[in-house]
Amino acid sequence: SKNIEDENTEPVIPIEDSREIWRQCEMNTQELSGRLCEQLRLILEPTLTSKLKGDYRTGKRLNMKRIIPYIASDFRKDKIWLRRNKPSKRQYQIMICIDDSKSMVESKADKLAFESICLVSKALNQLESGELSIIKFGEKIRVLQDFKDTFSIEKGARILQWFGFDQTKTDVKILIEESKKIFNENRRRLQNQELWQLQIIISDGVCEDHESIQRMVRRCKEEKIMVVFVIIDSRSSDSSSGKESILEMSQVRYVMNNGTTSLKINKYLDSFPFEFYVVVRNISELPEMLSIILRQYFSELANV
Amino acid sequence: MSSTQPQIKIKFFTKDPLETLQVPDTALFVPTLLKRYGLSEIVNQLIQDQQNKIEKLEYKIIPFDFLIDSQILTTSIDEYLVDNGLSTEVILNLEYKKSVLPPIYLNSL
Ligand SMILES: [Mg+2]
Repeated sequence: SKNIEDENTEPVIPIEDSREIWRQCEMNTQELSGRLCEQLRLILEPTLTSKLKGDYRTGKRLNMKRIIPYIASDFRKDKIWLRRNKPSKRQYQIMICIDDSKSMVESKADKLAFESICLVSKALNQLESGELSIIKFGEKIRVLQDFKDTFSIEKGARILQWFGFDQTKTDVKILIEESKKIFNENRRRLQNQELWQLQIIISDGVCEDHESIQRMVRRCKEEKIMVVFVIIDSRSSDSSSGKESILEMSQVRYVMNNGTTSLKINKYLDSFPFEFYVVVRNISELPEMLSIILRQYFSELANV
Repeated sequence: MSSTQPQIKIKFFTKDPLETLQVPDTALFVPTLLKRYGLSEIVNQLIQDQQNKIEKLEYKIIPFDFLIDSQILTTSIDEYLVDNGLSTEVILNLEYKKSVLPPIYLNSL
């Protein structure tokens, strides 16, 4: 596919260097990944608790609906008890997608992106509750870690090798389109009704065509693929005025109204196409921010 | 203009000391097919927004010229990027100054 990076492309960073980068990232995020793992456990695990189910001759609690038929049947219909069943094992597939475009360097988001890969993949690995996939995107995408493969520290270093942050486009539409195919394939592979699919996009957040992206994200939601966007905004912390922050950025739009076009200047994030997004200024904020947004996502899911 | 057009982050600045010509130095995400006229429209809008904060004044459109690295921009941003081997992943610093050319001539640019 024209959306996928050529198989024969060589990695950008030599393995010795990327091992060293990984080691540094691990050192910087060790405590944080423990914290994130803990938080994720709290968010994800309540869904693993078992439910009381009927109908049994012995059990834990009476099924009130069965009491009247029980008496009416002269106590013959005696399956009046509820039991706590073994919980059906809910599975997770979590895909981390990292922006490999050139603007990541410009916005000084590259270092934070590496730390985020390390932090999130280690936390999810500790959690042991699902499959992990890692993808890079820009003009094209490349799968760096497949859902089917197990993750390891060496794998982590090998994944970092592929980031040159030199792709000349940030095509989020291609990312969503291709990752949806991957999610669908892997749903078929596991054939588990209780499979939850979560996509975490890590980027500087600068992308065009918000309207189309918004429609695509909505379609993902309908197919039970949750998309969470983490905007790395490291420029805001190093410039005293915060002028470089994405929070301050504006967007120019041309709105057609009764045959005339008028110019509108709004805040960039006002039209940001992802419903669930967080803005993170440094790596220490990531665990907390990510768990806030996931909690919000899951609570909304529970209310549907 | 549809939203599927490529866009780029730009920042405007001017060397003109005149207080009323200043715009905020935050980044703007704009379509790359813009030329002098479209850019001028944006700067005028930004100036107008600044002034409206102080008092509602009768606003007169000012024609501007644009420069990148002290070179006057005579094409669309898109053409400039292609000519200079740049992508939309960079941030462009655009200098603006009051145009010295007569307005009638400017409309054709
Ligand atoms: Mg980019």
